[in-house]
Amino acid sequence: MVDAGSVVLQDLAYGILEGCVFAVVAHGLNLIWGVTKVVNVAHGEFIMLGAYGAYFFSAWFGFNPLLSAPIDALIGLGAGLLFYFGFLHRELRGKETVTLQTEMVTLVATFGLALFIVNLATSIFSVNPVGIPWNPGVVRAGSLSLPVGSLEVAAISVAVIAATHVFLTRTYLGSAIRAYSQDIAAAQLVGINPTFVAAVATALGLSATMLGGALLTVWVPTGINPLMGQTFAPICFVIVVLGGPGKMWGSLVGGLVLGVIINVVPAFVAPSVGASLALAIAFLVLIPVLLFAPEGIVR
Amino acid sequence: MRLPRFSPTFYGLGLVLVVLAILAPALPILSLTFLTSLLIYVALAYSINLITGLTGYVSFGHVVFMGTGGYALGYGVSALQLSPLAGVALGGAVGLVLALGIGIVTLRFRGVYFAISSLVTALAALQIVLVAPALNDGQGIVLSVGFQARSVFYSIWLIVAAEVVVTYFATHGRLGYGIRAIKSDEDAARALGIDATRLKLYVFMLSGLFAGASGALFAWFTSGVFPYVMFDLTFSLFMLAMIIVGGMGTNVGPFLGAVIVYVSYWYALTVPSLLGLAFAAIGVIVILVALLIPEGIVGTMRRHFPGLRGILE
Repeated sequence: MVDAGSVVLQDLAYGILEGCVFAVVAHGLNLIWGVTKVVNVAHGEFIMLGAYGAYFFSAWFGFNPLLSAPIDALIGLGAGLLFYFGFLHRELRGKETVTLQTEMVTLVATFGLALFIVNLATSIFSVNPVGIPWNPGVVRAGSLSLPVGSLEVAAISVAVIAATHVFLTRTYLGSAIRAYSQDIAAAQLVGINPTFVAAVATALGLSATMLGGALLTVWVPTGINPLMGQTFAPICFVIVVLGGPGKMWGSLVGGLVLGVIINVVPAFVAPSVGASLALAIAFLVLIPVLLFAPEGIVR
Repeated sequence: MRLPRFSPTFYGLGLVLVVLAILAPALPILSLTFLTSLLIYVALAYSINLITGLTGYVSFGHVVFMGTGGYALGYGVSALQLSPLAGVALGGAVGLVLALGIGIVTLRFRGVYFAISSLVTALAALQIVLVAPALNDGQGIVLSVGFQARSVFYSIWLIVAAEVVVTYFATHGRLGYGIRAIKSDEDAARALGIDATRLKLYVFMLSGLFAGASGALFAWFTSGVFPYVMFDLTFSLFMLAMIIVGGMGTNVGPFLGAVIVYVSYWYALTVPSLLGLAFAAIGVIVILVALLIPEGIVGTMRRHFPGLRGILE
């Protein structure tokens, strides 16, 4: 016999664990958005590529997602450099503030990139979902049962976010990136090369995104498909706005909030409407945040 | 008879539409169907052009108006026993009211924030429709109105004609200057005494009206509404791609873009080896247009050939 309280507790635990992964997946978007002020509409497609990376490393070499994640992160660095010089450099070069015109052009261009990647992926991978057979077991704690895989993934996610925070606040290059994100003209005056800094931030952003895609496969064990990015990208947009673009801990707070909403709301309503309602609430939470705390809920 | 002073493109578009209307009864049913679906996309492109093209507010979730319009017709025809034509009117009305509701809140947000809030609104709407008991719990509604090719064609024709006229008046005269000022610099426009909030809301409502009516028409055309079809973000993407390629905020751009994108998409569908790559190719076109000629075909022509400006306006 399972009582309602332990069901909610279990959902809450899942929510927190999944929230950590949401956080790292949104973290890459947050980094690029916060530093270059460009929103990468193709973000979900890079998550999808990261997940497929983990799938292929598993199928070819038998790697589990934790092993694939750093390889994905390296691929993401390269992809990020290509992305910066292919899409953002033309628009950001020589600008001291990011205008609405630039925002519009990059929105539209990355939107085209999303269309391109998702449809190329559909014709190469086919829409049939694939999965990674990896099940490291379950830990029991009182009435809770927690999958080991999701615990490990949550720990890595938090570590990645903490590492970015340390990098941005404690290193020279990190300070340069923060200076660039605050005031491009002033950063140039003190000798910071804007192109280098923006390119590094973009590469790190996509690196975190693809790493997140690999970690996410633990939560979608048999659901890796070319369209998965279209589910997770909007969640990431909401997370970043919730936390505030450019605030590293913001991704974690936003991710936890969304993870908890998506996992706990179904416990309180009829099972047939639970999942849909939870997603609807998770998406619409964006509107009051934008109205009442447009800088994000994290100080 | 002296013609009123409209621009040549306006007359050109009118001529194309009149020719289509005259030819329609003589066309074989297959061509008429093709023409109808093309015109549905033209109508959708003009509707998103009103908000995204004219004011620069990128509406990623424009499909929300199309979807609710379609569902309005589905509900009206199946539950309220309306005629399909009344259903289209209902779809337009529902689209307008929804745009009013959404616009009051989200039009305060600028740039990417508006784009993202429009996207999540559409996604949330899909999730709500999936579980709404009045709308058949997301199972969709099959309409038994039969296949009325000609009525459908002339209804969508009427919508497109109305959109061309509305777009013309929204790009010219006092109203057009106000809207253009908002697109260039909203704060400066406000400083000049333009009531930006109200103007944006008006064009957004018109945009919702036309997208709702087109969505209803799409439901009539396909004899049913299904949540994953009516709220498919692909429609949003199509609409955006069309006005990006044709030229945002122009009078003839949406028509041109819709024809280019839809015809190439339709062509790719008929070639088996290109299947699936049709959208990828559209993606490449959108990237190239955005990075190289962000003003689209019509906007770029206007910039490089000032002599054509009088014609293209």
